[in-house]
Amino acid sequence: MTSYSKEVLGDLAAGKLPWPQTRRIMSAYKDDDRFFKMVAVYQDRVAWKDPILLPVSDHLFICQSGDERITRCECGHSFGDYRKNWKLNAAINVRNTEEALREIYPNSDLPDPEWMEIREFICPECGTLHEVEAAAPGYPIVHDFEPDLEGFYREWLGRPLQGS
Amino acid sequence: MLDKPASALRLRERLLDSERLMEETGCYDGITELTLRNQDPLKFETLHTKLRAYCVSAREMARRISASPGVREVGEMVVAIYTPEGDAIALSNGIMVHVHTMSRFIKWMIKNNYEENPKIREGDIFANNDAFIGTVQVPDVMDVVPIFHEGTLVGWAGAVCHELEAGGITPGGDVCLAQERFTEGLFVCAEKIGENDEIRRDYVIRCERNLRMPIYWVLDEKAKVASCIDMRESVKQLISEIGLDYWMKVSKEFIEEGRRAQLARTRQLTVPGIYRGHTFYGHVTAGKPGFQLLGDPDWLYNIPIEMEITSDGKITMDFEGTQPWGYHSMNCTPAGMDGGMFVTLTQHMNFEGLVNDGAWMATELKLPHGTWTNPDNEMVATATSWALLLPAYGVFQRLLSRSFVARGFVEEAFVGQVNSPMIEMGGESQYGTPFGMAHFECAAAGSGALAIKDGLDTAYVGWNPESDMGNIEVWEQSMPMVYIGRSIVPNSGGAGKYRGGCSFVSTWLINKTSHLRLHTSEHSSRVFDNGGMCGGYPAPTCQKHRAVRNSDIHELAAKGEPLAHSPGIDPDVSDYEKNIGGDHVVVEGPYITSPHKSGDIFSHSYNGGGGYGDVLERDPIKTAWDVENGFLTREAADQVFGIVLKDDEDGYPVADIDATVERRAAMRKERLAKAIPVTDWIAKERGRVGKADFAPEVKKMYASAIKLSSRFTKEFSDFWNVDAKSIFTPGAKP
Repeated sequence: MTSYSKEVLGDLAAGKLPWPQTRRIMSAYKDDDRFFKMVAVYQDRVAWKDPILLPVSDHLFICQSGDERITRCECGHSFGDYRKNWKLNAAINVRNTEEALREIYPNSDLPDPEWMEIREFICPECGTLHEVEAAAPGYPIVHDFEPDLEGFYREWLGRPLQGS
Repeated sequence: MLDKPASALRLRERLLDSERLMEETGCYDGITELTLRNQDPLKFETLHTKLRAYCVSAREMARRISASPGVREVGEMVVAIYTPEGDAIALSNGIMVHVHTMSRFIKWMIKNNYEENPKIREGDIFANNDAFIGTVQVPDVMDVVPIFHEGTLVGWAGAVCHELEAGGITPGGDVCLAQERFTEGLFVCAEKIGENDEIRRDYVIRCERNLRMPIYWVLDEKAKVASCIDMRESVKQLISEIGLDYWMKVSKEFIEEGRRAQLARTRQLTVPGIYRGHTFYGHVTAGKPGFQLLGDPDWLYNIPIEMEITSDGKITMDFEGTQPWGYHSMNCTPAGMDGGMFVTLTQHMNFEGLVNDGAWMATELKLPHGTWTNPDNEMVATATSWALLLPAYGVFQRLLSRSFVARGFVEEAFVGQVNSPMIEMGGESQYGTPFGMAHFECAAAGSGALAIKDGLDTAYVGWNPESDMGNIEVWEQSMPMVYIGRSIVPNSGGAGKYRGGCSFVSTWLINKTSHLRLHTSEHSSRVFDNGGMCGGYPAPTCQKHRAVRNSDIHELAAKGEPLAHSPGIDPDVSDYEKNIGGDHVVVEGPYITSPHKSGDIFSHSYNGGGGYGDVLERDPIKTAWDVENGFLTREAADQVFGIVLKDDEDGYPVADIDATVERRAAMRKERLAKAIPVTDWIAKERGRVGKADFAPEVKKMYASAIKLSSRFTKEFSDFWNVDAKSIFTPGAKP
């Protein structure tokens, strides 16, 4: 069975693994022990102790925090119950003028701000830009991901979560 | 398990029987056990490898018959082998989107009693390019031939080439002016075009008299028929070795195995749950010549997608809430939507093992009736379906990628395929003859970023995993234009920790013609349609066209003056305007205008992919390399990424790490200072939403979505705590 060390997976996640090695991992049969090893890599990366249950973005994790399961930023900031849209507890910067769009697109033709805006969802504590939505003005904020967390652990991983 | 070697049932009954068995057992053709695979797995795998080799070999041979640079150079072709009921058993590389559209074509003929009339006999050749029967758009012309063994139909061989000229109202294949079916080009609607392995002369005459460049289409027909015959004879030889009964069983087990493998891969690579995303497309045609006023000239489409992965590994994609079909060329049929799903799966999940229709059977598409994804009017045009298909399946790739990230397979996460415009032309060639052609260098846009590295530069499109822009010299043989520039477009990938792949821009001098019609399609200039992920920004919107009529380029060249080879990096004044005299033209959206002539200059820019991750985490050293090599500008490095560059002693950019750390800390502070809580923003925006204080095209988009979808209406109303119907469709019946 294919398997990689935690160090290799850590470098892979950090984009530091040499390309030939990365390419081999991409082409090879997948390693069935990946999930928990990768969770361990992320757990080492964060300063907090709550056990990570699921990575959901580059710096966002669902974790077990006491009796609750919450979405937490890598810096430790809590966005609340993982079943709710974390974006609603984020800070936002909206780019809906040519001037504001030009800051990100200095040399390109721009879209029409009357038709489209950029919404930046930011961690209010550390300032990490977690997600960018490009949407028509007035479009509801998207709830990107509602994982079937309990089903995943119970049926796919064979390790039911405590309390589920 | 149903045991029906060389069934005596008529094809239609066999097909209905097969569908019933799938419904009853949940397994393809009622195959609940992979008996042959279990008996001799090595023989099983070897046979499928042989079938795949037949396909790959037949396609390569056929490409040498074609006269089209699209097929010869860029590989716009795919071939496959099917069961008697029309399910793909094995396929070649190439434009794999059509493996499943051909399946629909075969099934359509069976369900429409082709066995009765026009009859299905050994040596027959059937062709189709009708998207409501089974293709994506008119230029995707498919040929299939039945495979008989001792009088029994035992399968089909099929091939598709994308034609560079389809005889529509504008030259090329992606006919931007098509607003109804009747202007898309030459339709071949599931016709028998040949018998006894020979294409009928009257069919060739029809092609020759209805196309601007029949040599492409006709020789592609010969190439496809040759590949089909090649595959057919190989399969017949194989059957003589393994026996007919074994073939009939194993060919179907291959598909059931493919279905099971797809479910298993989903369980291995993803996380069950509900994933959501959206993209948009903006169309601008007001005032452009040729467009009939059948609908609004300018419009905005929303494409929301909800993907569900269930615990058994099934993937369902739901397009509820999207827009109605329209009098434009961008509608898509269920066949096209299927094709988009199939080709995306082959790249992300179905890339090993027995690649075939089984993977598609492990998925489901929910295409709301009456929308652009499933029009309730078969007169609509689908000539440029890709304009909506590509951004839609880019969203699918991002949704899948989020599941890969969640499962820990970060190396598989990919921000996705992009919509990118293409250019087509016709008129008088450099040889003084009539001509028409789609320029397929578009088959090498920038890709979205990956979760571990930048996207591919000028090397990826969603419809063909073997993306290729072709050689300049070959394109120049085929059109009355010569390249005076082909270069990377700086900053054309979306910004992020990993940037999207960059696109390129071509600049041509029109040469040796007095009448060159240039048209472009698949433009979405008013909105971003190629999104980013996990903090990455979308790629820039589609760029405007810049042309110079009556240029003084020959005079400049004679004097040895500098020329312009690209638009440059000043969005307000292009290098053409700075360096070349003449009548300068800047056009947004589809390029539809009067013919060009020798001495004019034309430029066309393709699109890059979306970015991944926070821009402030981008590697400064890689960024310095990007600036040195023209992928990013210094301005972007500083302003967007917060990377301070200085020059080394030879004048090359190098990253100042300490200054960068300082600058980024300041930018992060500034970011936080500018941002407001989302709850405050929602409270503020609610007032605007309540007044529908939006551009007319935005209001129209909401009104259409609300009219078509009660779910969209509820979600919109719930989010803003308003009554969406009364705001956007006042006076409408409840």
